[in-house]
Amino acid sequence: MIKITDLEKYYATEEVRTIALNKLSFQVQEGEFVAVMGPSGCGKSTLLNILGLLDDPDGGSFIFNGIEVAGFNERKRADLRKHNIGFVFQSFNLIDELTVFENVELPLIYTGVKPAERKKRVDEVLEKMQIMHRRKHFPQQLSGGQQQRVAVARAVVNNPKLILADEPTGNLDSSNGNEVMDLLTELNEAGTTIIMVTHSEHDAKYSHRIIRMLDGQKVTENILSEYKSKTLEV
Amino acid sequence: MLKNYIKIAFRNLWKKKGYSALNIFGLAIGITCASLILLWVEDEMSFDTIVTDQELVYSVPTNQKYDGQVRTFFQATPGPLAAALKTEIPEITKAARLRNRDFLFTVNSSSISSAGSYADPDIFDLFDLKFIEGNATDAFKMKESIVITKEVAQILFENPTNILGKVIRINQQDNFQITGVVENLPVNTTYSFNWLVPFENFTYDKPWTQEYGSNFTETFVKLSPDADFNSVNEKVKHILPAKTGDEDTKAILHKAADWHLRSDFKDGEVVGGRVEYVRLFSFIALIILVIACINFMNLATARSEKRANEVGVRKTLGSDKQQLIFQFITEALMTAIFAAVLSVLVLILIIPAFNALIDKQLALGLTIPSHLLSLLAITLTCGIFAGLYPAFYLSSFKPIDVLKGNRIQSKGAGFIRKGLVITQFVISIVFIISTLLVYQQVQHVKNRDLGLDKDNLIEIPANGDLIKNRKAIAEGLKNTGMITGLGLSNSNILSAGNNGSGLRWQGGSSTEDILVSYRYINEEYFKTAGIELIEGRGFSPVVVNDSSHVIITESFAQLMGTGSALGKTIDRYGDMYTVIGVTNDYLYGDMYGTSDPVMFYNYPPEAQYMYLKTNPKYATTEVLRSIESTLKEYNPGYPFEYRFVDDAFDARFKSEQLIGNLSRIFALLAILISCLGLFGLSAYTAEQRRKEIGVRKVLGSTVAGIVGLLSRDFIVLVLVALLIAVPLAWYLMYSWLQGFAYRISINMWVFVFAGFVAIGIALLTVSFQAVKAAIANPVKSLRTE
Repeated sequence: MIKITDLEKYYATEEVRTIALNKLSFQVQEGEFVAVMGPSGCGKSTLLNILGLLDDPDGGSFIFNGIEVAGFNERKRADLRKHNIGFVFQSFNLIDELTVFENVELPLIYTGVKPAERKKRVDEVLEKMQIMHRRKHFPQQLSGGQQQRVAVARAVVNNPKLILADEPTGNLDSSNGNEVMDLLTELNEAGTTIIMVTHSEHDAKYSHRIIRMLDGQKVTENILSEYKSKTLEV
Repeated sequence: MLKNYIKIAFRNLWKKKGYSALNIFGLAIGITCASLILLWVEDEMSFDTIVTDQELVYSVPTNQKYDGQVRTFFQATPGPLAAALKTEIPEITKAARLRNRDFLFTVNSSSISSAGSYADPDIFDLFDLKFIEGNATDAFKMKESIVITKEVAQILFENPTNILGKVIRINQQDNFQITGVVENLPVNTTYSFNWLVPFENFTYDKPWTQEYGSNFTETFVKLSPDADFNSVNEKVKHILPAKTGDEDTKAILHKAADWHLRSDFKDGEVVGGRVEYVRLFSFIALIILVIACINFMNLATARSEKRANEVGVRKTLGSDKQQLIFQFITEALMTAIFAAVLSVLVLILIIPAFNALIDKQLALGLTIPSHLLSLLAITLTCGIFAGLYPAFYLSSFKPIDVLKGNRIQSKGAGFIRKGLVITQFVISIVFIISTLLVYQQVQHVKNRDLGLDKDNLIEIPANGDLIKNRKAIAEGLKNTGMITGLGLSNSNILSAGNNGSGLRWQGGSSTEDILVSYRYINEEYFKTAGIELIEGRGFSPVVVNDSSHVIITESFAQLMGTGSALGKTIDRYGDMYTVIGVTNDYLYGDMYGTSDPVMFYNYPPEAQYMYLKTNPKYATTEVLRSIESTLKEYNPGYPFEYRFVDDAFDARFKSEQLIGNLSRIFALLAILISCLGLFGLSAYTAEQRRKEIGVRKVLGSTVAGIVGLLSRDFIVLVLVALLIAVPLAWYLMYSWLQGFAYRISINMWVFVFAGFVAIGIALLTVSFQAVKAAIANPVKSLRTE
């Protein structure tokens, strides 16, 4: 599903040029659950931004579903993103002025789904995430765990092929964190590909494979459980 | 999608109540201002709509050359001109004369005084008068006929219908038959009248009105639709010289559409008029809207950090830039709509006060399509204009930056924000300076030495038996001690008119052609009006003693050469007059200019006005009551009408007062809006720098130090604005003042004062937020960071 080759990304200030990704290469198969780990500043988030089509690499190739997307303009990236990718953030990033229902509805609005269909799908996903009873609440009225469930609901409401999770349990206590990880695992088992950036060894164990990074490069890769019959190669 | 935008816009407005209130209030002031100005402009543009064929109907002023200068006079055409224009120029299809007059109407036992005109029958067609009773063809068939407006009919008759043929007694001597009732003229009519009588009622006993020598009437013409204006105007210009042999007096055409807005002439050509004020204020309306919109932009971009996260999330979820732009513009539009609603409420409340201030009868009609559409247009334009920049700015955020919590620090946005604040203050300071200078100029002229004493001076129209009984009236009133003088004059003391040229005098060159005003007065006129006799003697109470004597003003005496003018003779068309006295020059006509020389005759029978000098020791009401009872005794049947000369003098400055009043209001509002903006901006700056303030306080900074730190940046902006505004204001006001012959010179202290005011106000506004931030507990701000 994803194949990146020699991916490069620099950040330049007036005096210093920092290399965030240094000729990084790997692949992710459809249906896989991959955890990316590494110390702060190793390039994990940069990688996630590029994979999420929020940012453009400075070099290398990024093939998404068989299409070379490196070099896409913002409009094309936005289009590809809204139909294929869901995001879960550490800080939830719910819109404070919208209710739970409206937050989850938002991706459907942007993909042009009709109101009746939107309502049906949002209700379904809220039911599944067990936050239906909170549908009319605003984010500030929910606990952290509930907010992250809403964020996950929002990420999956469009049935994306890929979910990118950036430290999804970083702001949660352990029991709420476990709930969210269970949720992601369920989604993965239902067929959604997940790439998760995390600091937590505990969370990483939910994945099939852990990629460890340092200074913008991959250092090791641990396969925790074989993913179906597909071969993993680097 | 739109529903979603409106919903979130509404919730955003509600959540940030203070911020929303600043925005809505600022925009509402802008919209209110613009609406008031538009109402005024609409009123100014709606003059003379009674004339349907605005491009075909013309008045006929005359250009007269004196001392090499062409001056344009209204109501200054000779009697036979109208008929000559109609018969000799084929393109002229209608021509009529109009001369104003006040009549006393009596029906049964009730009397009213009413202003109207002597007129020729073509006037009905020229002014498109709508007959309710009677018709234009038959109205003026007999001499003693009168056409009145519906309003006059309603005042005179209990049952104002079917009144054709009824009789009105005029000035208690003549009976006129009503031959027509017409619809009232609109308020906005340049040449207004309440009644019309045939012109021959004025001319029948005045042979001089049949000749070309005297200019005494207004003339109007209508051209045929296919006429070429320029060629007709040329023909009109030639007609007077052809009749009189005088190449220096020419009739010209002045189109109906220009009567109100373009009636200032220079060198015989229209150069402008009130239209300049219409343009100026339209521009000011725009400027006020712009500064209100600037507030919106500034506050919206200043709080962008708060919105950045939302932008990031929306973009991540698939929103593209256009959708975000649309969303933010929707929010701006909602703010503008709230502002418009507020503004309508405010307008309803303040229009009466505004009317009082500018002496108009403006009304906001939300059912009038033009008003509703204008309001809608202003609102939409404001919303879109104010929302556009923030929309582009906010929608350009990169989601990865904002979602990672990176500070949105755009140097460009900060720069633009500063530029906008400077713009606001430039406008405010220009307003402050202009207001001060307009005020100074009006005061300057008002305090000018007029050469006469306008205080405690009452003017009364000299109608009926007033002149005949003048001696008895004077005696009666003086005996009460309330009146110290009774003067008579053929002309209003403050007005020009009643003038002529072609005088010759001893020692004068024959080529000199000076316009001189003639005043027919009584012996007490100078004393009453406070005009000083500087040489010679005044007139005798016995009129015949002075039948060949005149008194002249100082400027006239100077024209007559060096040495005393006393005893010199003046030749007025063959009649010789000896100068027996010289008075000081006094101001009349153009209050900003210098007045023409005056020649006074001792001839009270020609008087149109009586002037009474009152004794200030007595209460005005008491004096007026006493005058009224005396006049009733000697001039029965006439209502007591009067006005104070100092009020009349003040009324001369209506335009300038209007400019003064309006610019004062706009100065205040511009400053208020700018301060609202500054207030909001300083609040956000203080919030953004909370951590810095906390750290500084922990390290030992005082409250004053922090207030200084936060205020300094804004004060620098105001100083920059001052640097730009001073030359700009100087240039604008210098140009404005050039329009007045008698004017102030611009003083530096005005700029210094304006600078202090602007900085003072800015400092007050900013320091409120700065002090609030400075006295906050630093522990709190450091913890929450």
